[in-house]
Amino acid sequence: MRPVLVVAIRLARFDLRRFLIGGLLWMPVSVIPLAGGLVLQRIFDQISGHQAASLGQSLWLCAAFVGVELVRGLTLSVAYLYGGYWWDAAATLLRANALRSILTARGPAATRLPHTPGESVARLRDDVSDLVEFTDESVPLAGAVLFSGAALVIMASVDPVVTLVLALPMVAIGVLNRMMSEVIRRLHLRARTLGAAVTAYIGEIFGAVLAIKTAGAEDATLERLREHNRRRRDAAVRDRMATDMLDTVTGATVEISIGLVLLLAAPAMRRGDFTVGDLALFTSYVSWLAALPRTIGVILYRLPQAAVATERLSRLMAAHEDAGDLSWNTGVWFRRERPPTTAPPARDDTLEVVEARGLTVRFGDGGRGVRGVDLRITRGSFTVVTGAVGSGKTTLVRALLGLVPVDAGTVTWNGRHVEDPGTFLVPDRVAYASQVPRLFSESLRENLLMGRPGDHLDRALWSAAFEDDLAGMPEGLDTVVGPRGVRLSGGQVQRATAARALARHPDLLVVDDLSSALDVETEKLLWDRIAGAARDGGGPGTLLVVSHRQAALERADQVIVLDRSRVAGRGPLGELLRTCPEMRRLWSEELVIEAGEQKNTRTTHAGPREG
Amino acid sequence: MTTLTRHDRYSVLRHLRPGRRSATALAAAIAASTLLPLAAPQLTRRFVDDAIGGAGTHRLVLIALGYLAVAVAGQGARMLTAWLASRLAWDGTNRLREMLAEHALGLDMAYHGRHTPGEMIERVDGDVVAVAEFVVAFLMDVVAGLLLLAGIVVVVLTVDPRLGAVLLAYCLVIGYGMARAQRLAVPSAARSRAAHAAMIGNLEERLAGAEDIRANGAGEHAVNGFYRAGSAWFHADYRAGRLGTALLGGTTVAFAAGTAIVLALAAWSRQSGTLTVGAAVLLFQYTLMVRTPFERLIDQLREYQAALAGVARIGGMLAERRTLPDPADPRPLPATGPLGLRLDGVGFSYADDGERVLSDVTIALAPGETLGLVGRTGSGKTTIARMVLRLYDPTEGTVRVGGLDLREVDPASARRRMCAVTQDVQLFAASVRDNLTLFRPIAGDDRLRAVLDDVGLGEWLAALPGGLDSELGGVSAGEAQLLAFARAFLTDPGLVVLDEASSRLDPATERRVERSVDRLLAGRTGVLVAHRLSSLSRVDKIAVVDHGRIVEYGPREELAADPLSRFGRLLDVAGVRR
Repeated sequence: MRPVLVVAIRLARFDLRRFLIGGLLWMPVSVIPLAGGLVLQRIFDQISGHQAASLGQSLWLCAAFVGVELVRGLTLSVAYLYGGYWWDAAATLLRANALRSILTARGPAATRLPHTPGESVARLRDDVSDLVEFTDESVPLAGAVLFSGAALVIMASVDPVVTLVLALPMVAIGVLNRMMSEVIRRLHLRARTLGAAVTAYIGEIFGAVLAIKTAGAEDATLERLREHNRRRRDAAVRDRMATDMLDTVTGATVEISIGLVLLLAAPAMRRGDFTVGDLALFTSYVSWLAALPRTIGVILYRLPQAAVATERLSRLMAAHEDAGDLSWNTGVWFRRERPPTTAPPARDDTLEVVEARGLTVRFGDGGRGVRGVDLRITRGSFTVVTGAVGSGKTTLVRALLGLVPVDAGTVTWNGRHVEDPGTFLVPDRVAYASQVPRLFSESLRENLLMGRPGDHLDRALWSAAFEDDLAGMPEGLDTVVGPRGVRLSGGQVQRATAARALARHPDLLVVDDLSSALDVETEKLLWDRIAGAARDGGGPGTLLVVSHRQAALERADQVIVLDRSRVAGRGPLGELLRTCPEMRRLWSEELVIEAGEQKNTRTTHAGPREG
Repeated sequence: MTTLTRHDRYSVLRHLRPGRRSATALAAAIAASTLLPLAAPQLTRRFVDDAIGGAGTHRLVLIALGYLAVAVAGQGARMLTAWLASRLAWDGTNRLREMLAEHALGLDMAYHGRHTPGEMIERVDGDVVAVAEFVVAFLMDVVAGLLLLAGIVVVVLTVDPRLGAVLLAYCLVIGYGMARAQRLAVPSAARSRAAHAAMIGNLEERLAGAEDIRANGAGEHAVNGFYRAGSAWFHADYRAGRLGTALLGGTTVAFAAGTAIVLALAAWSRQSGTLTVGAAVLLFQYTLMVRTPFERLIDQLREYQAALAGVARIGGMLAERRTLPDPADPRPLPATGPLGLRLDGVGFSYADDGERVLSDVTIALAPGETLGLVGRTGSGKTTIARMVLRLYDPTEGTVRVGGLDLREVDPASARRRMCAVTQDVQLFAASVRDNLTLFRPIAGDDRLRAVLDDVGLGEWLAALPGGLDSELGGVSAGEAQLLAFARAFLTDPGLVVLDEASSRLDPATERRVERSVDRLLAGRTGVLVAHRLSSLSRVDKIAVVDHGRIVEYGPREELAADPLSRFGRLLDVAGVRR
């Protein structure tokens, strides 16, 4: 079956009771206008004198008309509210499944995510809505079919010929919707593409503002913006016109149908066979009848859209997952909390040695990747990976941890082959403090623990040299940090991340370069404390660190020097300084930098004003 | 958010005003799309009355055909209005977008240092789109809708003044009621939107931090957090839905009641003989026509708030003033040859927070001399370089280039005669040509090819399928550096500011970059922000910068020879030969 239908059926079925009851509640909303039309027919027949009646009777009919609409209004409210649960639940189900796959499924997540988080968010927001709406559209379809069937029977009993002729414009709306949908999709896509081009260009202008200003190219840059703008305008206007045209044609068809009724009924009306009441009935039904071809058109239009949405969402999932996993019923947790996941079973594979052989990543993120790197880390050792900017240090540790896809190479843990490092080399085995860490808009405690019990927290905070910062926060661990909370300085974020990793009490702690946010003194303090904790068993005993700082290099049992993706040397620092020219070069550069810095040991805060 | 006066709001919206001809065309289209639908019920009335009165089939068919023509023409007019309105709105908002971009480009680097390109996209594009959508909708729904409503009331008044009065009263009551009800629903709808935004925000943060979460083994925990956000959204949505659907149901009933009242009055008037059957049908149709414009008007009330917020933010950005005033009497720099440079007691602090970045910087370079700026990150060397380019004006002292105070130099001539090559090369997703010229018509293709050849990118260009027209993509850091040098060669500057690349290139590229540096500095005055001491062998003078002050300054050879100088010590530590 096509993936999009798999998703649609699963979405209808995950809470079948609600979907069916909700759908049934909608039926009266679509069908009640039948009664409204019949009441109007009677009213006009009485007004025109075709049916003799007292004024009182006419007034009662008017009251009945209001009554009918009142019932419809009430059903509408109930059906809408009842259906809202299904809608929100279905959307949350899809989003949670995709998120779970990104955060927990086997295989590196980096390759599945589009370049910017904004783009993945757009998928999880808009594509999910497209899919749920597509599934939801089956309800109005059923309603429209029901109404149209009944309406056609009623109308045919009044005048079969007029009814038959009226069906033709309805078919026309359907065909037109079908034909136009492809054009609309294309125009819409083009408008979106050109709109995105303007946005991207504006972003580029302000990313390159220095180059533009120093070259005095402001006017030329703006002229180009004008060109982009003109193209976008034309596409956007065309897009709007196409959509408008469809609306207009549908509207026009209803009007034309009424005109047709007038035309065809003229002789019958003269004869008195076709009453004014019948005319009111027909005109009131015609506008409701247009809903059927329109709904069919919408579904036909939404189907390819939903198929694209399914495909794009499936691409966020892991390689071994498909549309079925995307729409799997994993439960709805609107009315109660989802029970916390059970802790992983106790393990008996405490780190003795972790090894990587022939690790190769052809295209590292931002850097050059790594080529055939071997790595051996034994329990209790301190390993430093060093190298120039772009030499592949970060790619190496990320490849080891399964965060980027490797082109070749194996990883073993105590000699046993690790199938998927991304899900195996995690706490309690390994914890990782990345170079560009993220904090979430939650309390500091939540950010540090992330669902863990807090028994190692105080020690972790001390080891990460964070205790002074914490003392400076009036609300302590309850301080809300992250993008929508208190902005921590770059150094604070780095140390908080180190504390987060330490609080996991891993066998192996992996720390990527801290030097961009920590000054020499603070980094030294950090290593002292972490090493101290390792000695007395209060913290991870084995460390893998990316650094070029003296404090880390001098402490290392083994240093691995990377130069343009390859290992240029490995061993203790003293030995490397004798044998490895690249190490000597890096060391002397570092000495100069630290000599420059040590004259003033003030804390470097995030984002110096110049760069 | 900045609060806006009526005047500020006007000054933003002024840019949206269309030209006279377009405005006239639009007014005509709106009038047509209002009048034609008003005419249609008149024809049904005639049809019914004539049919009952026993007119000939020929006449009835004629009326029916007339109805068809009016209906089709009405829809056509509506489309024309939509076309004109959206064109006008796009023209207006494009003007606004261009004006904002121009204004923002004119703001100094201190402003751009505080605002990311992402924020600028939101200010220059996002807000404008919100305003554009509202303007189209305003013309289509508010103006046309109000006209149609007024037209209906006027026509009904002429048919039957009493019924017209009732319809008018009804419209006023329902309009007031709907607006009030809408306002009632706004807070809960806003809460629902906020909960939705919070859920999406939760999702965004988790996706951006996906690796942190995975590496900390907190995936399931994060999913549970998302369920909580989803649940909060559902509950807010449900509460908003209760009010929203009550309103929807209420509106349905209110319109039915209106229709019923009109029908009842018509029935009553029929009884007293003052109204024809056709007129009753006409009244019925007009009553039905009232609904759509009302619903659209109410919808727009909501959009109005969002558009107003957009206008306020745009106004806020326009209120930002540039801090580099244009000279009153601009003087050009010497048109050819190297330019001398002189900084006299230059000090600088940021205007917004008064943070002091430079103090008492004095440097003098004769035409053709080169200076190396040394110091750790954050010491102020980049700021000095930016003063030379007049990206900031000094708060104390003067910067003189070619003997002229930079504040008096014609900006265009300054841009022509001075250039900068920065370490993070800023490239556009545009053709090679546009990336070299930055969209300016400053050089022919032959010159561009020659310059690319000179910096060692000749082969690279030859390998591109579209030559100079190829869209730039996937350039390595080294190639990007060389492209930046090519940009600099194009203008033949007299003073060059060079921010050296700190990342390591492969040896071949590094040699090419070094060659380009040498060629660029030959016969030109140069300021080199150095990240590596080894690359300072080519400069004439050295300035060591620390905490925004020049702590050591002199000819390179003298400093290198002095064992007590900071520069000398640095060279020693680095193991570079003096």
